[in-house]
Amino acid sequence: MSKNIRINVHHLTRVEGHGNIVVNVANGTVEKCQWQVPEAPRFFEAMVRGRRWDDIQTIVSRICGICSITHSLASTKAVEDALGLEVSEQTDLLRILMHYSEQLQSHVLHVGYLVAPDLFRAPSVVPLVPKAPDAVKTIIRVHRVANTWSDLLAGRTTHPTTLKPGGLTKIPTEKELRDLQETLKATVSDLVTICEVVLSVADKMPAFERDTEYVSLRQNDPPTYTFYHGGITSTDCNGDGPVPIQQWESVANEYVHPQSTAKWTRWHRDSYAVGALARFNNNADLLSPLGKKVAAMFGLKKGCCNPFMNNVAQLVEAAHVVETSIGMIDELLTRGLKSEKVQVTPKAGRGSGCVEAPRGILFHSYEFDKDGLCTGGNICIPTNQNHANIQKDFETFVPAFMDRGQDELRLGLEMLVRSYDPCISCSTHMLDIEFVK
Amino acid sequence: MKDTIVLGLGNVLMGDEGIGVRIVQELQSTCGERFPQVDFVDAGVGGMRLLHRIAGRRRAIFIDCARMDAEPGTIRRFTPDQVRTRKGLVHRSLHEADLLNILDLSRQLGECPREVVLFGIEPERIAEGIGLSPRLESRLAAYVQAVAGGLA
Repeated sequence: MSKNIRINVHHLTRVEGHGNIVVNVANGTVEKCQWQVPEAPRFFEAMVRGRRWDDIQTIVSRICGICSITHSLASTKAVEDALGLEVSEQTDLLRILMHYSEQLQSHVLHVGYLVAPDLFRAPSVVPLVPKAPDAVKTIIRVHRVANTWSDLLAGRTTHPTTLKPGGLTKIPTEKELRDLQETLKATVSDLVTICEVVLSVADKMPAFERDTEYVSLRQNDPPTYTFYHGGITSTDCNGDGPVPIQQWESVANEYVHPQSTAKWTRWHRDSYAVGALARFNNNADLLSPLGKKVAAMFGLKKGCCNPFMNNVAQLVEAAHVVETSIGMIDELLTRGLKSEKVQVTPKAGRGSGCVEAPRGILFHSYEFDKDGLCTGGNICIPTNQNHANIQKDFETFVPAFMDRGQDELRLGLEMLVRSYDPCISCSTHMLDIEFVK
Repeated sequence: MKDTIVLGLGNVLMGDEGIGVRIVQELQSTCGERFPQVDFVDAGVGGMRLLHRIAGRRRAIFIDCARMDAEPGTIRRFTPDQVRTRKGLVHRSLHEADLLNILDLSRQLGECPREVVLFGIEPERIAEGIGLSPRLESRLAAYVQAVAGGLA
């Protein structure tokens, strides 16, 4: 057994998402074990002040380059809640279809580009190409389908242009939807291939469990594996009705912690987890048949408390959204698409919007004056809600795995953080280069 | 599919970080009609999606804020083989995508454009807030000309 361990995975610059892993073990005793987030705060809530009700979505979609559709949807729903706007069933279906494209995009990207290299013991996806060329090409093919899908519904892949409080500025044609449906049907076999590839190396995921509270949306009317409607629930709610999303601040209970510039959250316990595994643990009974089949392939069952299985839950959801979307397109085509005009009169009010981002439940709230100018906002992102839980996982993981040596422990901790699919920050992505020629 | 794609990268809410997006928006509005074979794309913070954007094109041109140890406001044109990244990424997050890595992946997949050009602009101010620093704002027209000059 290693008596002394020092792990210090540290980012030196402030240009990317930052999270540090610091572990000190002396004479077999854990002296320090921390998940630190030194990322600079973003101040989006201040940035939206004074902005018009129809500008909010455009601004906050830039919070994230991966889940910009999700931020746009949450903010649009919040503005609609504040202004008392109802949307048509057609708009609702098209938005959910748009949202599903981002779930597929993000999940495939995460499992394929970040988790797979760990499982194949490659440093990143680039050196994985010669090791597993067919697998990488399949992953890229599915990711490309998801991007094209987003383009069609959101107007472009990143930072949607079709969303507007009250409705949509552009809708696809019936032919475009039919083509998308054919593409999705053809994607099912690629998805199954990806699942088989991950299953072949799934034994590389540490067998680690820690009893955890899982928080997500839950929709009972009609019962749906939801990413978009419903209320807030948790595995600690014991079947009590979901909490209305307007009360999200009493669920998240955000607080400041000295080892993190990002706020931490807690509900029934010291920490909780959000994300695909949380949604699965609260809603698995409502998955599509293909989603259930993928879960069964991996032996994933409701009540799973292994954070590494979040990666598997993402695959389950990728299958679910593709299969469900094929059915939704049928429903849209049967109804027939109608162009809709939206009239909005601004008024004073406060509203909240909540959707499931690929990496977990996301809350937005805004307040407007009588002219529709924003007087305040509050946003709580999924990764913030996972930070305290990652710390709690570390505290159990380090003593349990430290006898495997420093290098394996470090890899295990990195994989653990990665399994939460964190969105530490995507405020800046500038090039940082030196000239060699 | 159009022959050439010009991608403006950056976050317009982080001061000069948004310079790539601003330049591509200017290019689109002032030169869009002059270059019918060119797609001008506000690619935001890009990420792995860039892989799909450039696949199968003959030429890809990236415009991005870049720390190059140059005077703030400097624009430099270079190719990927002329530079090396200094980012020490550990790939814990999807948000860590590095443009040079994406180009490498694209090459390995055999779908990278034959011609890849990057324009880097050294920032003066990277901080929360909408709008460029006065120094970069005053040079916007020159940046647009620098990129447009090579598009013919």
